[in-house]
Amino acid sequence: MSCDDNHEARANDRVRRSLPVVGSGGAPAGGPPATRKLWRSIEERSRAVTPGAANEFPGGAADLEGSSRRGFLQLLGVSTAVATVGAACRKPNEKIIPFVRRPEELTPGNPLHFATGYALEGYTSGLLVESHEGHPTKVEGNPAHPETLGATTTAEQALILGLYDDDRAKQLRRGATAIAWPTFLSELKARSASLAGNGGAGLRFLTGPTASPLLADLRRRILERFPRAKFVSYSPVAADGAIDGAKLAFGRPLMPRHHLGPAAVILSLDSDFLNDGPEQTRLSREYSARREPSRDMNRLYVVEPAMTVTGAMADHRMRLRGGDISAFAASLCAMLSGRGLSALGPVGSLGHGAGLWDSKWLVALAADLEKNRGRSLVIAGRRQPAVVHALAAALNSALGNVGATVEYGVPITTDATAGVEALRALVEEIAGGAVDTLVVTAENPAYGAPADFKLGQLLKRVPNVIYHSLYEDETAQSCNYLVPAAHPLESWGDGRATDGVVSIVQPLVAPLWGGKTEAEVLSAFVGDGEVGTHALLRKYWSGMSKLPGNLAGSFDGVWERWLADGIVPDTGASSEQGLAINSQALAQAAAPLLARQAGQAGQAGQGALELAFAPDPKIFDGRFANNAWLQELPHPIIKLTWDNVAMLSQATADRLGIETGDILEVSSRDRKLEAPAMIVPGHADDALTLPLGYGRLHTGHVGLAVGFNAGELRVSEAPWFDRGATVTNTGRHHRLAITQDHWTMAPDGREIPPPAVEAPLAEVLSSGSMFNEELEARRGAQPTIHEPVDYSKQQYKWGMAIDLNKCTGCSACVVACQSENNIAVVGKDNVWRGREMQWIRIDRYFSGPVDDPQMINQPLGCVQCETAPCEYVCPVNATVHSDEGLNEMVYNRCIGTRYCSNNCPYKVRRFNFLDYTGDISPARELGMNPDVTVRVRGVMEKCTYCVQRIERKRIATRIEGRAIADGELETACQQGCPTQAITFGSLNDASAKVTKLHADPRRYDLLHELGTRPRTAYLARVRNPNPDLVKVD
Amino acid sequence: MSPLFRPKHNTLAQISLFVVAAGAVGVPGGLMLYARTPYARGMQDPIEQPLQFDHRHHTRDEGIDCRYCHNTVDKSPSAGIPPTQLCLNCHSQVWNKSPLLEPVRQSFIQNKPLEWRRVYKVPEFVYFNHAIHVNKGVGCISCHGRVDKMAAVEKDTTMTMGFCLDCHRHPEANLRPVSEVANMDWKPEGDPVDSGRLLAAQNDVHTRTSCTTCHR
Repeated sequence: MSCDDNHEARANDRVRRSLPVVGSGGAPAGGPPATRKLWRSIEERSRAVTPGAANEFPGGAADLEGSSRRGFLQLLGVSTAVATVGAACRKPNEKIIPFVRRPEELTPGNPLHFATGYALEGYTSGLLVESHEGHPTKVEGNPAHPETLGATTTAEQALILGLYDDDRAKQLRRGATAIAWPTFLSELKARSASLAGNGGAGLRFLTGPTASPLLADLRRRILERFPRAKFVSYSPVAADGAIDGAKLAFGRPLMPRHHLGPAAVILSLDSDFLNDGPEQTRLSREYSARREPSRDMNRLYVVEPAMTVTGAMADHRMRLRGGDISAFAASLCAMLSGRGLSALGPVGSLGHGAGLWDSKWLVALAADLEKNRGRSLVIAGRRQPAVVHALAAALNSALGNVGATVEYGVPITTDATAGVEALRALVEEIAGGAVDTLVVTAENPAYGAPADFKLGQLLKRVPNVIYHSLYEDETAQSCNYLVPAAHPLESWGDGRATDGVVSIVQPLVAPLWGGKTEAEVLSAFVGDGEVGTHALLRKYWSGMSKLPGNLAGSFDGVWERWLADGIVPDTGASSEQGLAINSQALAQAAAPLLARQAGQAGQAGQGALELAFAPDPKIFDGRFANNAWLQELPHPIIKLTWDNVAMLSQATADRLGIETGDILEVSSRDRKLEAPAMIVPGHADDALTLPLGYGRLHTGHVGLAVGFNAGELRVSEAPWFDRGATVTNTGRHHRLAITQDHWTMAPDGREIPPPAVEAPLAEVLSSGSMFNEELEARRGAQPTIHEPVDYSKQQYKWGMAIDLNKCTGCSACVVACQSENNIAVVGKDNVWRGREMQWIRIDRYFSGPVDDPQMINQPLGCVQCETAPCEYVCPVNATVHSDEGLNEMVYNRCIGTRYCSNNCPYKVRRFNFLDYTGDISPARELGMNPDVTVRVRGVMEKCTYCVQRIERKRIATRIEGRAIADGELETACQQGCPTQAITFGSLNDASAKVTKLHADPRRYDLLHELGTRPRTAYLARVRNPNPDLVKVD
Repeated sequence: MSPLFRPKHNTLAQISLFVVAAGAVGVPGGLMLYARTPYARGMQDPIEQPLQFDHRHHTRDEGIDCRYCHNTVDKSPSAGIPPTQLCLNCHSQVWNKSPLLEPVRQSFIQNKPLEWRRVYKVPEFVYFNHAIHVNKGVGCISCHGRVDKMAAVEKDTTMTMGFCLDCHRHPEANLRPVSEVANMDWKPEGDPVDSGRLLAAQNDVHTRTSCTTCHR
């Protein structure tokens, strides 16, 4: 009998013998429960039981491959002998190596924090990086920075792993020959001298979008020396539509900046503004700040093709193919012009697409927007064409939102746009043989550029390609010089955020493998190659005639201030005033674009399938493909790890005879691609969403050949949405590592009250509602036969509150926790077996119909039960309670019985089935948090409420002779959270925020009926539906 | 044919049974006893350092406070081994030609750290913090002994979990005024436990024994 059978037999046993539980059934007697039926996967919805969920771990989790029983016993014998001898030996001889000269600010043992910045897509966010004795170990947001406000994105959290990635490019090379930097400089000097002869006619630079003042200055100097050289910015996920749309609407390129603080009604047209784009961290904060249940709560409408993080937060969501959104926007203009917004008349007359959507929805939306003039916002996404952005601008202008919820400013990136068109000109020049030397500092353009450009092959025709990159990637295959890039955390630099604020980027560590910055490569063309970025940067900023901020004193003092604060004062960009829409001109320009869309709008069925490309929420455009934290992070919607899939709706899948995991052959424009399919609730019909960034052929060993490369179908003509694809099912299957059915809290299909609770605003606000009564029954002490421990006499009683109303599911907390707590990465096969180690899982529940569900997120780590079921069953006291009520995990007592995990009703314990950290690189070791034990095989672990942070803060405050003040101690998940959904503190402090949240009327306890007295409380989600649209469920 | 087993084999069998039984108890027991000897714990074993640094001379003869060199002891988990530069604060002026100090000067000139041999080590899973102990009036001497009388430093206490817990349960005998933590000659007036009780209140001492106090 195999292990598996055993498990099943025991599981069946459990069904038969399940005992009644005190207080089971959360709903009050009489009447149906007010909360809605939740489901995590389509299987769970239809069969009520998740396949394989009866087991605590999915089948195979406990199997030991590659080792026979005999081999195991041999190992056991040897290890016992080694342990015996080892115990009897004396301690080994160890060295202590102090500094020769200790830096003044450094106290060995205490970490330092440095303000720096990270530029993604040209916009720099402000970070605060923790460094232990010179090793950066943790990234936080800079609270003083106006765009990050102290929070971070998943990608920013994962920078640490990227820094220590042993797969990074390490050797400067010409062809296959390793060369040194001075050699490179002297070769470049000779080349640039000959290039300068004809003004640099054959010199081209392909850079990523950037807003760095230093790089702009270097560009100016290069163009002075080489007047005929050209710079092109390119990003495969450029948000050009916004700039071009403003040009359509206002006559000149402008960049919108959004403000959700004053916005009572928000309409997103395919904009994932809570989880994508340079404003996401600030917008998440502003959005959630107006989600407090009150009459003042904002309302979010989202129109989008595939469920996104923003769509999941929507009060009203409409699924619509990406190409039909322009028609929707035009119809909205028509509707509003009919309601008296005469400025929208000309564009409104272009309205099309009736029948594609519920007209009642549109009417209600128009009325809501119109009612909230000057307090509403229409926001269009990066994938939408210029016309949609122009219509959004027209709508905002007509609604009086410009200046209140949206402002327009001159683009702060050096090149306003970075999309396909500029690259097309360069590609033509290369094809025509006009380019002699091409300097590529853009992110892997051979991979990211449209497939029809065949850039990878074209690059081989350029006599000299100098490529500056972090990895030996696809582009590196066709260049003669590869210059290893310095990681952002190893680089000096500067950059601007979307609001123009300048941050000086300072390195946390010298380049580990001799990488060079982009500025160093560019400066080599003006003879400054030996100067170094730091000197270049100081020279640039000290050379300014008037320093921003008017700070008194020497430049050195000002510079130190800038570095310490992480921002340069008074550098914010101003917004344009008195902007007016030329409605007639806009209508004229938009008419042909809309007409073309309208021609396709009615089409449906096989021939009209829409391909929708999307930046991946985890690895973006592929630049984070070698980051194992991000690869293993469950996708915020589909909970997929280590893969990408072609997403489609249930109806489309049924029509095409497709099931999740089937490998499809997708053909479009004579291009073919094989991709596994996944049925995603809430996806638009007749559309296929293909996430970018996977299917890498050349990168480190983590990202290699993970998923498929959607870019193979992406052409310059239709970079985001393309109609007319066909799909056939190959009949083969692909194994997907999806975590959505792991760690179920309802094994054996047992009925539990809905774990994630939500209700409409009206019910939450009325005190006697069924909802409030139901929540009342889900908090407070349950009867117990144990003598309850009194924690009120302790100095602290740690507790947490998680507001489901604010959690967007962005997963920054999961990566923050992984970074803070040295959590191992296990790989695809192990995730498939249910061995993933992340301490926080974000349960994602759907409710309602498969076609058009609502979604709700529930982050869940150890809830630190006061009467913890795990503790009663541990035979070795490896999990015990602290005097302050923390459920402690004592790793070196743990013998790995896994009884605790078995008995944990929340399923938040993680077991080291294998030695996941034994073979990490020496470089990676430098990035581990030295305050947290690195666990070995056979040991259980789980969320500790960041006890290392508690103890560090406790010691610091006890030395100062005071108590820890509320808010000064944050857990890693709380600190990283962009929406402040997580609150942590002492429940013995009556004035603490967490105590107040524990007393909130929306508070309830997860699995309250079990009487575990969790210290983590949840606050129910509130939706704010438009009364005109409330459906009767 | 003589019998296979003779009477002496009975004795042999009994002896071997005894040896097996004694071994089963004795070997683990012996190892356990051995592990508790000062030898196995590395105590009473002066560690020879690459440099003949004499604590007796510096602390007693010169009267230098422990915290002059171990100057992070009151603000960091780590007490701090002095950087070379700190040695040269004095030794660039005094004994600046002494051949004994050649390694120190070379370390400074070549920017190569001195490599000391570790004397005290807690297991990897223990997060000991010097700062809180020093700031609550636990003297250096409580764990490190009379370093001022050691030519070469040796481990003075067992450093076992029992050693830590004894004090965390009853800290009184090891408390002193915070101003006296580095004083090797300080003696409490009267009964150490009684004066310790007063000091515990004075220094706001609250020892904890929850696992995560030391293990994280």
